[in-house]
Amino acid sequence: MNPPFHLAKKEDLKHIGIGQVDDSAIKARTLKLMDEFRKFSRSFSAMLETCTRCGTCANACHSYLGTDDFNNIPAARAGYLRAIFTRYFTWYGRLFRRFSGAREFDDDTLCSLVSYFYQCNACRRCALYCPFGIDTAEIVLAGRNILTSLGLAPSFIVSIARNEILTGNNTGILKPAIIDSCSFLEEELRGETGLDIKIPVDKPDSEILYLPSSSELFTNVDTLMGAAKVFHHLGVDWTLSSVMLEAANYGLHFDLEILKKQNRRMRVAAAAVGARKVIQGECGHGWRVARMYSEGADGPVNFQLEHVLDFVAARLQRLSLSRLPIRATLHDSCNYGRGTGLLDSPRLLVRACVEEFVEMTPNRERNFCCGGGSGLLMDEMKDLRMQLGKMKAGQIKDLQPLDYVAAPCASCKAQLPLVLKHYGMGDTACGGVMDLLGRALVMDNERRIEGNATGNHVK
Amino acid sequence: MEFLFGVMLPYTAFTVFVAGTVLRAAGWLKTPVPFQLTLFPVPGSIQGKIRSLALDFFFCASLFREDKALWLRVWLFHLSLGLIIAGHVAGIYYLREQFVLVGLAPGTSRLLSKLLGGTAGTAMVLSLGALIVGRIINPVVRKLSVPEDFFNLLLLSAIAASGIFLYLPVFHVDLPAVRSYMGGLVTFRPASLPQSPMFLVHFLLVNILLLYFPFSRLLHSVGYFVNRSVLLESPPTYPTKEGAAPRSAFASSGRHAGLHASGREPMDMGGNP
Repeated sequence: MNPPFHLAKKEDLKHIGIGQVDDSAIKARTLKLMDEFRKFSRSFSAMLETCTRCGTCANACHSYLGTDDFNNIPAARAGYLRAIFTRYFTWYGRLFRRFSGAREFDDDTLCSLVSYFYQCNACRRCALYCPFGIDTAEIVLAGRNILTSLGLAPSFIVSIARNEILTGNNTGILKPAIIDSCSFLEEELRGETGLDIKIPVDKPDSEILYLPSSSELFTNVDTLMGAAKVFHHLGVDWTLSSVMLEAANYGLHFDLEILKKQNRRMRVAAAAVGARKVIQGECGHGWRVARMYSEGADGPVNFQLEHVLDFVAARLQRLSLSRLPIRATLHDSCNYGRGTGLLDSPRLLVRACVEEFVEMTPNRERNFCCGGGSGLLMDEMKDLRMQLGKMKAGQIKDLQPLDYVAAPCASCKAQLPLVLKHYGMGDTACGGVMDLLGRALVMDNERRIEGNATGNHVK
Repeated sequence: MEFLFGVMLPYTAFTVFVAGTVLRAAGWLKTPVPFQLTLFPVPGSIQGKIRSLALDFFFCASLFREDKALWLRVWLFHLSLGLIIAGHVAGIYYLREQFVLVGLAPGTSRLLSKLLGGTAGTAMVLSLGALIVGRIINPVVRKLSVPEDFFNLLLLSAIAASGIFLYLPVFHVDLPAVRSYMGGLVTFRPASLPQSPMFLVHFLLVNILLLYFPFSRLLHSVGYFVNRSVLLESPPTYPTKEGAAPRSAFASSGRHAGLHASGREPMDMGGNP
């Protein structure tokens, strides 16, 4: 097997509760898992059984358009699983194998599944194109779940999932380091603004629990600092949590049991600080998991859930912003656009922060994926990822000269700077929307006292 | 033979068609949708969702948006198919005099019926031809295609062509005889088959289609509604309403709950809150 990424080792999988399957048992186990999945989720069998191979999805897919590999056409990618499903789960596929496109389960099929299911960013653009509403991302994610249960998963995704399980965040840092980093950022903020802007950790009786991307403590610090400034300015009673310092949930990418477990942690973290509202920071798939999967994965949710961009956009009137003299565009994260419908707030905010705002073509729910989604950020896939980013690069090239690409998603923030550099646009910066707000915000000079005397908190 | 082809076959085919399709659809619908798979933007109201489904059903609206050339072939085919099915019911029942109901003379109605039927049939054959050619000349679609895809198009073409042949004097079929035979089937008092070889070919092919439909990709016509309604579901709101039923067993236990055969034991990791 020669997938474009490193497979996780047996012991690493064991750490996250996943066993290995003997080579001799792989076929039987795969079929058993497929049978489980078709009883588990309607989309699995219905979407496997309705494709007429019309090819409309080919033009939707940035992965196919970027790699020019036939197997990356959504219908071809899902076709591998579809062919096995037809062969083993429909009687006409059993009877008329060649006729129905049925395929035996063999090593070749397994290799193709492993390789091509991880060349899809699960961006769901093909679902928009498909005349029958087939969401190939659903099939791919189901397929990845099956592969995971066979002991086949990328080492990178497994190591991040392990961090999430052990520490509640992707970078794997523990409370002392979290507090250290936040104090450091508070110092930075004090140096910059002269104000005592807090980044509280585990503050009891907080109105709001804020879940950033943990990368904001190290690489995307401007995003967290921007959020801290805005919260300070609005007088928000908020805190981070050392139980869950993470919006991301890598379980979505490869294992629903891990998704479930990590999602449940959000409730524990909210209860620990007494928050009635959880606000998620700039993380695309994390927001999709929180907004769309929380109830389905872990049952009723007893707090409010809001995205930071919606939260701030609703309070935009209360922010005094000095427009930055730059020309900027917005990259719609797939999980925001098609995944959660978070389309207007990011635009509203970027427009308010910069002198010139330009839209990409296509944009909003028709936007192309940057190529970094669904956990494909491993180093060994960098060359391939640059191909996955080809359509995005073309979209941005059309807008040059451009100063800034606002990409309010941690995966996009990891991928887009590489894409920009690779395609000769190294002068264009890339960062979050909260970063822009932090830079554009004109701060009060009076020092706000946390939970001020009138009890006039932002709810 | 008469009993086999004239009675057994049509009743069997119709039963398989209806029961097979209903069972396939029920099989999908009884499976839970564990998570909201909303594909945004999505209409908020029920009327909006029905409108969106109806636009796709009657006009293939999403295909129109994405690929106009394919849309033209696809929509022309489905439109002519729909008109032909409606025309068969009305034309056979009223012996082509259905347009008398809207004030035409019987002779004019028969002429109009033939004209419309002939036009729709021709449109169906042409659009099917265009779909077959499209599948062959586009290298990507050709590579994606499996034999079934061509078979479906050819079977439908054969049905349409044999229907058009019935217009030719040499293959003439007596319409009142067709009406009494079909009427007999519907009222469970089977009459004898009309004496026309081309009619028998046409009728046999339609029965094959009905028998084959529930097992084939022709079921995209039903699967479409199942998939789209999943993507059109409204997103959840938080906090969750009191007393809402769990979406699936996964919300309380897990996908692998009780399924030790799948090799996953309940996870109990260190460092948990």
